[in-house]
Amino acid sequence: MLSIHNLIVDSSRDKLVRGISLELQAGGWLALAGESGSGKSLTAASIGGLLSKELKQSGIISWQGTDLADLSPSRKRQFLGKEISYIFQDYQGAFTPFMTIGKQLDEQLLTHTALNRTQRRVLSIEALVNVSLSGERVYGSYPSELSGGQLQRAAIASALILNPALMIADEPTTALDSLTAHKVLTYISKARARRDMSVLWITHDLRHVRRYADHVAIMLKGEIVEQGAVDQVLNAPAHSYTQQLIAAIPPLSPHVPRRLGLPEGVHET
Amino acid sequence: MRSTAALKQQSGKRRIKYTTLLLFVLVIMVIIMTPEITPQDANKLIIGNRLLGPSSEHLLGTDHLGRDLLSRMIAGVRTTVGTSLLILSISMVIGVTLGLLTGFLGGLYDRMFKRIVDAFMTLPDYIFAIVLSGLLGPGFLNLLFAVIAVKWVGYARLVRSTVLQEKEKDYIKLAELAGVPALRIVKKHLLPRVMGNVFVLAALDLGKIILIIASLSYLGLGPQPPTAEWGSMLNEGRVYFNTAPHLMLAPGIAIMITVLIANICGDRLRDKLDVRMKKGA
Amino acid sequence: MLRSIVRKLLELLLFILLLSFISFCLLKLLPGDPVRSILRVDDVAVSNVQIEAMRTELGLNESLIVQYGIWLRQMLQLNLGDSYITSRPVITEFIEKLPYTLMLTLGSLLVMLIIAIPFGTLSAIYANRWIDKLSRLFSLLGSAMPSFWLGLLLIQLFAVKLQILPPMGEGSILHLIIPSLTLGIAMSAVYVRMIRASLIESAGQDFVASARARGIHPIRLFIFHTFRHSLVPLVTILSESIGSLLGGTVVIEVLFAYPGLGQWVVNAITARDYPVIQGYTLLMSCFVISINMAVEVSYRWINPQIARRGKLKS
Repeated sequence: MLSIHNLIVDSSRDKLVRGISLELQAGGWLALAGESGSGKSLTAASIGGLLSKELKQSGIISWQGTDLADLSPSRKRQFLGKEISYIFQDYQGAFTPFMTIGKQLDEQLLTHTALNRTQRRVLSIEALVNVSLSGERVYGSYPSELSGGQLQRAAIASALILNPALMIADEPTTALDSLTAHKVLTYISKARARRDMSVLWITHDLRHVRRYADHVAIMLKGEIVEQGAVDQVLNAPAHSYTQQLIAAIPPLSPHVPRRLGLPEGVHET
Repeated sequence: MRSTAALKQQSGKRRIKYTTLLLFVLVIMVIIMTPEITPQDANKLIIGNRLLGPSSEHLLGTDHLGRDLLSRMIAGVRTTVGTSLLILSISMVIGVTLGLLTGFLGGLYDRMFKRIVDAFMTLPDYIFAIVLSGLLGPGFLNLLFAVIAVKWVGYARLVRSTVLQEKEKDYIKLAELAGVPALRIVKKHLLPRVMGNVFVLAALDLGKIILIIASLSYLGLGPQPPTAEWGSMLNEGRVYFNTAPHLMLAPGIAIMITVLIANICGDRLRDKLDVRMKKGA
Repeated sequence: MLRSIVRKLLELLLFILLLSFISFCLLKLLPGDPVRSILRVDDVAVSNVQIEAMRTELGLNESLIVQYGIWLRQMLQLNLGDSYITSRPVITEFIEKLPYTLMLTLGSLLVMLIIAIPFGTLSAIYANRWIDKLSRLFSLLGSAMPSFWLGLLLIQLFAVKLQILPPMGEGSILHLIIPSLTLGIAMSAVYVRMIRASLIESAGQDFVASARARGIHPIRLFIFHTFRHSLVPLVTILSESIGSLLGGTVVIEVLFAYPGLGQWVVNAITARDYPVIQGYTLLMSCFVISINMAVEVSYRWINPQIARRGKLKS
């Protein structure tokens, strides 16, 4: 389905992503985890060719047999927002502030479909309702009139509106409170089950990984140090960095002994 | 690790910096020593010599009254650039003093002052300068007065707002609590804070003032003949463009280069101050 | 919303009153005698009796406050007095000259936009490439060049060397070209860099990246998202500089013997035609302030959030 082979992202100073390879099956949910600066967001951006001009990417990004990295910009655009869609961390930047949400959904449909005005409107409102937003109202709202959670849900509506085969979610919940974050992940999860969509999920939080993802890859300094099925990687981490990451997860239940992560010199009694 | 390209750019920037600095010193020296370095009397009329082209005796030729153009150009540095610098310094002194005082004292004075400053800011300053210098009548001092009347406001406003910002900061409040005399707070703490911004504004203003003076003189509102001033020289020379183009080209190019230097200095100073402020933050 | 406009208008009124009083006093205190210049004392022999009669006729023998009161009452009726020189109402002359200056201003704005928008856009898209470096050079030189000098050079080029355009005066749209070019080029020097900076700032916004990730066509993206976002600071700066643009027309009008407000006021200054000078200063200030207010209202169109938020609050 999606397979990345030997992806390198280069700035003029040094290599930020150092030749990584990834596989994502149809309907699979792959979490790409690691600390900030590890190159996971760059990996996500390079799939759609969304890197800034100063960065050079090389390597093969094969999507259902076509190499996305090799496509002309206009062919690549036909995928973006339709077959492959993105959600970003910063929901404030998901929509242009001086256009209504409806106008921007409409713009997306106009770009990718041949639907007429009424059909576009119906589809847009339906997409908003699917993420439990009051469709008509949000359709006519400016981004500043919505709360953070509402905005991120609208962003998901836009990402799902054309039934994409792949959703790339770049830390979609980092800026949200945990309850809203949970809701957002649930929507993605439901949509995935319904449409057999694949998800590439960029996160730094391993707590959520076990709950939603089926595969996980751990990135460190531009390289993938370990990848595999979630159970295998999280239960029996092979790499020392993965072990550290898992150890740093704060316990959710008081019954789990706090063996790791205690300051030095403090002993349990 | 720095790449060679970055280093090259750095040295290029440094070269520009030293060149502009050197030129600035040169201009100041010319202003101070004008009578000593003009090759000939800038105002000496020799009608037989009118509109001569460049020659070894008159490097830039002569004007319509037979005066040596090079000498007049050099004398013009003093009138045009010297006057601009004078205007700039006086506007700065007035603006900074009033800005510091009202900003620091606050209260009624400050509110009144803000109204006045706002009123000045809404007036198109260039129109105001023309009308004012026109009403006062042509002449050097009136020009000086008219441009200062327009220019001091910018400094006052800048200083006032900087002071209002600084006053809220802890170190000033602590100094006040510790019983440091107000004058000393202003002098030791506020003034140094304010001056960086003021100098940047001044450097960027210098070019504008030179252009205002030149255009007011061009309208005949500046120093009166036979004083050599680049703007009025341009006006005198325009009639002879076909026969003696150097009369119009020389002052125009001189104004352009001077303003260019001033603008580049201003940009550099601003960039430098920005960097310092960012580092400090 | 309505309240803020009313408050603004009141402030404006107060400001004009203050301004008129200051300008009135200043005019009276200044050197130069209007009576002497009306009667051309320097050229023609005039008796003292004639001068006195003229003074009384013009009301110049009353006290300052009385003179101001009379003047203010007339002003409220839009009567700004008559020109000492032509004896015609100032307001009539102003309205007569205004279209010329407006035409010149619009022409210059047009030239500026034609140069600055494509040039600024290209230097933003190709930042640090040759076109960007060229535009940097252009704006450095352009902002250092005295506009009247540029005007003289353009006259030489188009009217004397090429002989395709009339050098000065008025009469046809052709007469407008060189003056508009002069002011427009001088202005675009600043705006090219401003548009570049503003566009680069806008293009770095997250919402632009999001729209790009939705597959929006680059041209559509540029026009409806990036450029529109850059519009707000540009319009602000443009409206703030409308005063200096109108000031710039003064020199250019004199240079090109163009019969607009600028030349009118410079002539009035040389002739000490007080009512004209006063009328010009007042009307011009009002004009500039009204434009600034109009721009504030237009923000509501550029950025509808502001309007919406205002509505929600009230």
